Amino acid sequence: MTAPTAERGSRRAERIRLYAQPLIVLGIVGVVLAWAFSSDLDDIEKRSINASTILSLTWQHVEITAVVTALVLVVAVPLGVVLTRRWAKPLAPLVLGIANIGQAAPAVGLLVLFFLATGWTGFWVVVLPTALYALLPVLRNTMVGLQQVDPSLVEAGRGIGMSGFSVLRRIEFPLAVPFVLAGLRTALVLAVGVATLAMLVDGGGLGVMIDTGYKLRRTSVLVVGAVLAVALALLVDWLGALAEQLLGPRGLR
Amino acid sequence: MRKAVAVLACVALLSGCGLSAGSSVPLEVKPGSIRPIPQLRDVEITVGSKDFSEQIILGYLAEFALTAAGAKVRDLTNISGSNSQRDALTSGQIDLVWEYTGTSWISYLGNTDAIPDAAAQFEAVRKADLEKNKVVWVNMAPLDNTYAFAMTKQNAQRLGIKTTSDIARLAKENPAEATFCVETEFANRNDGFPGLQQTYGFSVKKENVRTLATGAIYPAMTDSKICNFGEVFTTDGRILALDLAVVEDDKKFFPRYNAALNIRQELFEKHPEIAEVIKPIADRLTNDVMLRLNAQVDVNGKDPADVARNWLVEQGFVTLTGPVVTRG
Repeated sequence: MTAPTAERGSRRAERIRLYAQPLIVLGIVGVVLAWAFSSDLDDIEKRSINASTILSLTWQHVEITAVVTALVLVVAVPLGVVLTRRWAKPLAPLVLGIANIGQAAPAVGLLVLFFLATGWTGFWVVVLPTALYALLPVLRNTMVGLQQVDPSLVEAGRGIGMSGFSVLRRIEFPLAVPFVLAGLRTALVLAVGVATLAMLVDGGGLGVMIDTGYKLRRTSVLVVGAVLAVALALLVDWLGALAEQLLGPRGLR
Repeated sequence: MRKAVAVLACVALLSGCGLSAGSSVPLEVKPGSIRPIPQLRDVEITVGSKDFSEQIILGYLAEFALTAAGAKVRDLTNISGSNSQRDALTSGQIDLVWEYTGTSWISYLGNTDAIPDAAAQFEAVRKADLEKNKVVWVNMAPLDNTYAFAMTKQNAQRLGIKTTSDIARLAKENPAEATFCVETEFANRNDGFPGLQQTYGFSVKKENVRTLATGAIYPAMTDSKICNFGEVFTTDGRILALDLAVVEDDKKFFPRYNAALNIRQELFEKHPEIAEVIKPIADRLTNDVMLRLNAQVDVNGKDPADVARNWLVEQGFVTLTGPVVTRG
């Protein structure tokens, strides 16, 4: 520790942020909702700004985000592990290339192309392309996380008679977890953002309010939809931070 | 302090760009049946439009007409988003646009229910917009770009659908076939899907209504067959290209979206001639004309400016070489 006080200070700041972030987010949501519900709404606004519509759209948004996260974890983490094994290294550039394309393509295009190609609508047409979009940060970070493990630790593990798998499970992976989680946080926030485009392919979500509000020039609808989407992104980011605190390797916490 | 100066400099730079944006009219025209008008000589007029083909074509029609009449026209067509275009007009960045009566009444003036009669709707919008926003409405065209349901001709025959009342009957007798693709906006407005069901006396289950992007509605009807009925605009060129049948709104439920000219009051009071120059053009703009012009751009990939000029030449409003002067 070269600068223990600075270190401690930044940790304290992190802890304060951990408590403050959800409170501030809930506060903002409360204020915006109170403003929207108390203002004079016309028929068109009432059709969007009512408890059941807002709840169901928010829930759709949460569902999309949750399933995207699960998919990304299930696909990207094992894939990252495999691609860092010595025998699979030649494949790494190819897979990374595909993930890069997934992220470089505009999200709107990805969603609508997927719809045109499959002819499906609804939940899965949103979830699958969004997962492809969010795959890269987790995959990349898993690989970087595993690669940065000190080779001498791996050697030592092998030296005391551990199998390749138990070295991975007990040494490499725990040390890579902070990287994986940091990637996941990025991916989650991306997923919340992309999910606002779900309305283009009958996927619902808060994008419906943003689009309706903009097109019909009903600012209250637009603002409620946008603020809720931002709040959701911040909450999800907070959950990511929480996971980093709880799941990171104990010695490094 | 230095930061503040930098920010100010940026703002000044940006607003400077905003004021000087726009370019000259892309193609040359000479007077035809539209004659040069001395009062309009070298008057600077900036024409704007929204960002879809019909609007851009309409914008060019006005630009060429005013150029032929002698004005100094600046081209600011293709402004992204209806709201930005509207703000550009009310803030004076553009002088003249084509706007739809229904759009202005519901979106800009904040009303929830439309007026069914085209002339009455125009009159109501004209009055309110002049009072509230100093925008003058003139030259309403027959062109009415309203909502309609479209379907493949195959489906129209198979299900025996000609009018929206037929759809209502189908929704009651065979609900599984009454499937719809609509936009978010349409699903939410009084003059959209909720009101339509009320007026025609039918109701559709939620799972039979898909909310899609405008462009995705067409393939959803024709290729993937997700829905039998798609919400379209009556002058969309894709109706011709995909050979779709448009379902008649037999109870005249949808609002009127007649195109008309919007001019800033300040400019209109100085130069009321602008309206006279464009009136004969507006009078000839019917849905059929607009469908054909839109299809040339959206389907055949022609340039909106070329399409607009060709039509004006064909109609004799302007010429490419100047009028042939006959002495007698």
